[in-house]
Amino acid sequence: MEGRKDGRWEGWRVFVRERLPLEAVDAHLRKPLPKHINLLFSLGSLAMFLLMLQAVTGAFLAFYYSPSPEHAHNAVTYISTEVPFGAFVRGLHHWGASAMVIIVVLHLLRVVLYSSYKAPRELTWIFGVLLLLVVLGFGFTGYLLPWDEKAYWATVVGVEIASTAPGLGDFVAKVMRGGTEIGAVTLSRFYALHTIWLPWLAFGLVGVHLFFVRYYGSSGKPENTPEEMKTGKPFYPDQVFEDVVGMLILFVALAAVALFVPVPLEDVADPTNADYDPRPEWYFLFLFQLLKYFQGPFEIIGTFVIPTVGMLLLLFLPFLDRSERAVLWKRPIALTVTSVCVIGIVTLTILGGTSKKLETTEATVQETTQPAEQTQDAVTPETEAVEEGEEVFDFQLTEEEIENAVDVGTE
Amino acid sequence: MEKKSRRSFLELATAFIGGILGLAAGIPLIGFAISPAFKKAESKWVDLGLADRLKNSRFKKVDYTFTRKDGWVQATKKRSVYVTDVGNGEWNIFSRTCSHLGCLVRWDEKQESFLCPCHGAIFDQTGAVVAGPPPEPLEKLEVKVEAGILYVKET
Repeated sequence: MEGRKDGRWEGWRVFVRERLPLEAVDAHLRKPLPKHINLLFSLGSLAMFLLMLQAVTGAFLAFYYSPSPEHAHNAVTYISTEVPFGAFVRGLHHWGASAMVIIVVLHLLRVVLYSSYKAPRELTWIFGVLLLLVVLGFGFTGYLLPWDEKAYWATVVGVEIASTAPGLGDFVAKVMRGGTEIGAVTLSRFYALHTIWLPWLAFGLVGVHLFFVRYYGSSGKPENTPEEMKTGKPFYPDQVFEDVVGMLILFVALAAVALFVPVPLEDVADPTNADYDPRPEWYFLFLFQLLKYFQGPFEIIGTFVIPTVGMLLLLFLPFLDRSERAVLWKRPIALTVTSVCVIGIVTLTILGGTSKKLETTEATVQETTQPAEQTQDAVTPETEAVEEGEEVFDFQLTEEEIENAVDVGTE
Repeated sequence: MEKKSRRSFLELATAFIGGILGLAAGIPLIGFAISPAFKKAESKWVDLGLADRLKNSRFKKVDYTFTRKDGWVQATKKRSVYVTDVGNGEWNIFSRTCSHLGCLVRWDEKQESFLCPCHGAIFDQTGAVVAGPPPEPLEKLEVKVEAGILYVKET
């Protein structure tokens, strides 16, 4: 009986091995890593895991979502309150997005720490930075989808930022909105970007990034000798085991947050709600705060120059930093620049997050659905705001004046 | 030898943790996706109008609408049935949905039968299958008359 079972398994094994290059894959997976690989080298795998988790939870959320201003908010409410596991799945996706930004940035800092971006891994770095942009793109396109106040106003501001770009700014903003204002077309195209275009782009970039990672091998630590670069533990199962333990810990933490911290959903988007204080997601708060410091003609410095130059410097960092490969604290210029950037972004984020909301004593306006001419009647010179020293004219004509006017007209 | 057994353990442990992760994420996700299948549609009586208006009807096609919650929308649904006044206050209302694959059947006066345009099914006046692939007769809907108004039960 046992022998027959073994025989059947062996048959399957032979069948599979004859058709798939499993031995080559196995040998590739078991290739040794450099020595002294620590837990920080699992951050890339964790980012990959989160990308998969976001893709899967997003694909499931799409079963119930409808990208139209009439339905989006109700659909998200339905997911959160009526569909079994809905609040949990939405929580995983929402908090997973934040976790993704944190892990991707930590991964980037690990690469800076060990100067892993240096030759021959410049392209690995460039595709990694492009992936960071895609992750931020996911965040930006994703938070319009619930169509609540935050979604609407954060997108209004985001698109206006794009419109300040010199030359094509206005055109780009119109393309982003699908017209002159945020509405059904905007929501539809943000949904398409979030669920079709960006995922394809992300998986393409991840594929190229991973190809370079495997082709050049792990960068290891700068102090590794050439011998140590190929005599560490094998990628599988040693490193993969550490990676999946990290994934399990990350998932448990995310699941706990998804279970116990409800995902915020504000009132449905209202383009007339001037009482709402727009605030972006926490990972865009630094930019939100930065914009406050550049006023008038200098606005473009905050909206366009600093973000663009910053991104270009980051993208081409391997070609700008020509120092010898060494750990960060042995590279004084890199250490200073990195510290200033990190401290600057963290400080701006804290300032943005703790900035006071606007307090006004604006008079409440009676909502009305009356025809325009009746509404106009309600606005009298007395009720309109009048600056000091400005005269208030009473346009009401006396009966005598009306009679005179009629006389003039008939003469 | 020791290294080999350690590696085997790591392989097993990796597969085990991977499985746990797959289950921990997969069970809620699958529950989330398939939950509508376990939801019972609310049944309700729908007003078809005055019974007198349909007196002596024989396989009369009646279209009606009613509202029902459809996900996050209170949707207006359309239905079509064949109504027959059997007499003595008895009514027969047949659903027009073919019991085979859901196409809408049509009453044919000449053949005195319901004909399905999709796969050639034929049902007789009682809704029983005469020919074609349907496994079951046409559905007969619950009916009641209250205060002179004819109601049909939507399930």
